[in-house]
Parts: sequence; C-alpha cells; structure tokens
Amino acid sequence: MEGFTPIDMTVLIVYISLIAWIGSRFGKDQHSPEDYFLGGRKIPGWAIGLSVMATQASAITFIGAPGWGFEGGLERLVTFLNVPLAMIVLILVFVPVFHRAGIYSIYELLERRFGPATRTLSALLFLIARGLATGVVLYAPALVLSVVTGWSVNLTIIIMAVLAISYTVLGGMSAVIWTDVIQMFVLWLGALMSIFLLVTSLPGGWSDVLTFGAQSGMFNAIDLSFDPSVTYSLWAGLLGGLFLHVAYFGTDQSQIQRVLSSPSVLDAQRSLLIGGYLLIPQMLLFLFIGVILATYYQQHGLTPPEDLNELLPRYVVNAFPTGMAGLVIAGVFAAAMSSLDSALNSLSAVTVRDFYSRYIRQGASDTHYLKASRLATVFWGLYATLFAFFAGNLGPVIEAVNQIGSWFYGALLGTFLLAIFSHRSNARGAVAGLITGMLAVWSVSSLLEVSWLYNNTIGVVVSVSVGYLVSLTSAAPRAEQLSDVIIEETAPDMQAVLAARSANAPEIGREARLTRRRCIGLLVWFVVMLGLLALLQRWANG
Amino acid sequence: MAERLTLSRQLDAHAARRRLGRLGATTLEPAWMGLWAAPLGMTGKSPGAWLLGAKEMQRALLLTGAELPVQVERPDTGIQLTGATAPTPEATQRLWLWERMAAPRLWRIQALDTPPTPVWLPCWLGYRAGRTHQLTVISGLSGEVLSMLKPLVLAGLARAHGHTQAGNEKTLPAG
Repeated sequence: MEGFTPIDMTVLIVYISLIAWIGSRFGKDQHSPEDYFLGGRKIPGWAIGLSVMATQASAITFIGAPGWGFEGGLERLVTFLNVPLAMIVLILVFVPVFHRAGIYSIYELLERRFGPATRTLSALLFLIARGLATGVVLYAPALVLSVVTGWSVNLTIIIMAVLAISYTVLGGMSAVIWTDVIQMFVLWLGALMSIFLLVTSLPGGWSDVLTFGAQSGMFNAIDLSFDPSVTYSLWAGLLGGLFLHVAYFGTDQSQIQRVLSSPSVLDAQRSLLIGGYLLIPQMLLFLFIGVILATYYQQHGLTPPEDLNELLPRYVVNAFPTGMAGLVIAGVFAAAMSSLDSALNSLSAVTVRDFYSRYIRQGASDTHYLKASRLATVFWGLYATLFAFFAGNLGPVIEAVNQIGSWFYGALLGTFLLAIFSHRSNARGAVAGLITGMLAVWSVSSLLEVSWLYNNTIGVVVSVSVGYLVSLTSAAPRAEQLSDVIIEETAPDMQAVLAARSANAPEIGREARLTRRRCIGLLVWFVVMLGLLALLQRWANG
Repeated sequence: MAERLTLSRQLDAHAARRRLGRLGATTLEPAWMGLWAAPLGMTGKSPGAWLLGAKEMQRALLLTGAELPVQVERPDTGIQLTGATAPTPEATQRLWLWERMAAPRLWRIQALDTPPTPVWLPCWLGYRAGRTHQLTVISGLSGEVLSMLKPLVLAGLARAHGHTQAGNEKTLPAG
C-alpha cells in the first residue's frame, strides 16, 4: 500500500502538461490552414475511431464499470451487447440521411421535415439531457481527485468544473486525435495492470477468481426471464438496449457530431465501426475487473467503499507501483477533460446555432457568435456542476449517464424515425409524439416496475404511434419537406434518366459491397459475443 | 464573369472502377460538376484551402491546398452538369462560420474577401441497377463519396436528359 506519492503527483503533472502541450502544438498553433486540414486527413481511420471512443466513455467506463461488475458481475454486459446491432442501424439508416442532408446540427433535419417547433423542442431536450449527463461526467474525475487528495467530493467537483470550463473556453484539445488515442491506451494499460496485480495478489490466482465468480453467480450474463421488471434480462438488453444505443449514438448531437463532420459516409461508418467492435470487449474487461475486485475484497475481508465508483481509483492509488498510479490517474483526468470539452462544445454549438442565432440575435458578426458560444460554455459548465453534486447518489456513473439519456432520447429517436420512414407524418404529429413519448417514459418509470432499459423502447413506440395517428388529423407534408428523407433517384422520371445513363456507361464488374460487408461483420461479432457469454455461463453453472 | 477553371481529375478510371465497385455500383461514367470555389486562409495571407459549393448546397466541400489543382485543358470526356447558381459572399461567410463552430480548431481560418471562382469539379458517377436504379457520386479528386452533391448531380442529369430528348425530337422527321 504505497498511496499517492510525490512521484505519482509529478507524473500526473508532467502527463497533463505534456498532453496540454501536444494539444496546443498540434491543435491550435499551426501556421497555415493547410496544416489544420491535412492534420486530420493524415490520421488513420482506427485512430479516429479510438478517439471517438475516448471522448465517448473512457473515463466514466474506467470509474463506473468496475463498480457495476463488483455489484452484479457480468449480468450488466447485456446493456452493451446490442451495440453492434445499434451500429448497423446507424450505418444503414441515420448516417446516409444525415450526411446527405448536409446539416451541422441533427435537429436542423427536423426543422426541414417538420418545422421550427420540432427543431426547437428536440434541441432543447438534447440540451437538458446532455447537460445533466455532463454533470455525471464531471463528477467522475472529481471523485478521482477526491480519492487522490482526500478532499471532499464537493470541493473537487468545483475545482474540476473550473478547470474544465476554462480549458474548453480557451480552446480545448479534443480535436487532437492522437492525445485521445494515447489516453485510451493508458486507461487500457491501467486496466490490464490492475488485473495482473489483483490476480497475482490472490493465493490461488485465476482459479480463485473463477471459483468465486462461478459460486456467486457473477458469470451469469444471460438471463432469459421475460419478466419486464428484471432489469438486466437478455430481452431488456436486446430490445431496450438496442433502442437505447441507437438513440444515444444517433440523436445526441455530442455523439453524432464527429459523424457529421466526417468527410464522407464511409469515414463516418468507420468511426462507428470501431465502437461497434470494441465497446463490448472494453466493457467486459472493466466488468471483469469488478469481479476480480469482489474476489479480492472477499479474500482479504475488506469492506467496500460506500460509493462503488471509488473502487478502482482507490485500488490504483493504493496498489500500483510508484509512478504508475500517477500515470493512470492522469489518463483518467485527461480522458475526462476530453469528454467534458467535447460535451461542452456541442452544448454551446447547439445553443448558438439552434437558439441564439435564430431567436435572439440574427445576422451578428463571427466575433459576436464566438463570444456567445463562450458564454454558453460557461452557462452549461455551471449547469453541469449543479447536477454533479447529486451524481454520487445515482449509483455507478456509467449507468447514471445512460439512465438520464433514457428519460429523453426514446421520444427523440421516435421523432427521427417518423421523419425518415413515415412520409405521411407532419409537424402536428411530430410535436404530439415527442411530448407524449416523453410523458409515457416518465409515467411508466415512476408508476410501474419495468426495467429502465425499456425506457427508450417505450419512448419510441409511443412517439411513433401517437405521432403517426395525430398526423392523420392534418394535411400531409409538402414534397419539399420530404426532400431530405426521400432518396431522390426513386422518382419515376429520375429512374428513367438513370436507366438510360447506366445502359450507356461501362461496366465495373461485381465486387462485394463495403457497407453490406461491414454490417455483416458487426452481426457476426454480436453472435460471437453472445455465444462466448453463453459458454462462460454454462461452464460456471457446471 | 470569370472563366470557369477545370480542376484536374486525379482519380483515374481504374481507381474509380475499384472504388465504385466496392460501393456496389455496376457501371460508371465520368462527370464534371459546375461549382464555385471560395478561398480560405488567415487574414492578409494567401489561401490555404477552398470551400467548394453552390447556392443550392446546404454544406460546402472542403479542398485543401494553397492553389486550386487546375488543368489548362477544358473538361474532356464526361457529362458536364450545370444549373447550380453561385453563392453570395455573405452566404459563403455564414457557411464557413458554421463549419468553424462545428470544428472549433478551424476558428482562426477565415473566408477571404475574394469573389468565388467558378470551377469544374471532376466526379465519377456509379450506377447500380437493382429493384431501383441507384446513383453513387464520388470525387474525381479524392475518391470520397459526395452524398451532399447528389441532389445537384441528379438535377443536372435530368436537365441533360431533357436536352438530349429535345434534340432527338428535333431531328425526327416530321409527320
């Protein structure tokens, strides 16, 4: 038990300074515009994908998932088992529509399709939901700082908020993809090292973990119960979780922003593919650490901390060799900063684009809008800080983020599905669907015993059904309102043009279609993961 | 009005065939899209990149490089797709503002106060005949899929088809 030594503190300061230096060297101080643009284009796709993953979940996964695993073993993996399927839906449905529409904020699509009220309402929902979730993301590094220094969490939340807001207002560094990649590897290194140190400290090593895990049912990842009140049944994970992740990755501006900024549809797909393949193994890794920690605590007769989010940071600080603890804690900090920077940026961008420049100050100068976006960053930083004070009561941070989203995003997803698939639905139906969808989620979650994983499914079903039925009470949308969601070439006269041109164009020859291959790959990955979990469970139960 | 410059095609037929084949197209043809290039750069310095767009486009395409990769020759083989209108300088400035809001690291780069240059952008059009005929547009510069250009390309193809048909009707013997 070495604790957080001055050497660790030095490593932490050097690492953060180094990352900040890389950020300012490669992110802000280039001398020609070409450097900015080429900088992005020289980076391989896998690095961009890892960077997306790093901004999405790395710090809260590191902090929250081991607590989740400690409490419930691998059963909560079903929440993420659907991610490859969700990515298929995004690749096939959302990415092509969003990309073709040429939009900066996805809520613009809703305005073109349904009018300004739907855009304003949906953007507002995003701001409320993402602002709350940012509070949880802020809480995560504050907790780590509290473990390292011994200060109260409320004080460290304020310190972290000041750091995160100043850092974002000054320019941030989320654009520097390599720093995100480094952080991702540091966190994975930390996870693997925790496993190594934990397992070697057990007298029986791996066999102790496997025996304890099997005896305490921690490897029972697949629960086939049809009871909707069972939170982590396979069906809740597949049906509820699928809608959860499609909604989370497809209708939250902070998540889809990089997809919208990708130069092409294929690049956008690639960044989703990395998440589709890596999120399950990453979650499995951190949940497994939770199982190993449970074995460790049981064997050493230790009492776990009241807040299970502290489990892994506490272990890292106490058990890691001098210097390594500093490195891993620094990785958590830097990753959290990257997530906060990205979230605050998207919150301020939506505030300025969807509200300020439309309703408050139209046609102002660039400098004015820059100032407005900085003020918006400060506002959302304060909003998130207020919520961060309560985040500790929400259980594992990773579940808290998803639960907050599940109150809002189901109805939002339903509205996007109506916009894309129902050419009869209109503005009246969309607003009615959005509001009733959300009310349905809140009513069901407060009145009935239903797994929170179904919240998004309820939101989608209610908003789509009500939205469609209410749409029938008023006129169908005009043709130009459908232009973003109808594939232009399907019009009969256009088909004749394409047939004529195609008949006179040289042939290419048959090759496998890339998008189809990518989707099949994700489907196979889902089946392999499900099969592996079933095998593990079967072995654990003899 | 300034003469329309021709950007040189960097993706040859072989590479385009491979690229479009991976995307499911079964036939392909070269095309040229008439657009406008607005220079981007630091104030008081020469351009470092270009914003390619038209009034009808919601978002512009980004082309890096201090100079436009132009060729002396006019567009050779391939259909020329016209009909797009020039964006106003104010629209270009605003378009670039939102691009910078979406990617804050681009903040220091500005749309320079120079009128946009009309250009021919080389493209490759891939066709796929299934239950319906589908079109894929890729850039003749980089090979990237240009979904945002599709409405303009379809409108251009329809216009060209209309002209061809009108021409055929004219040449038919009366009676």
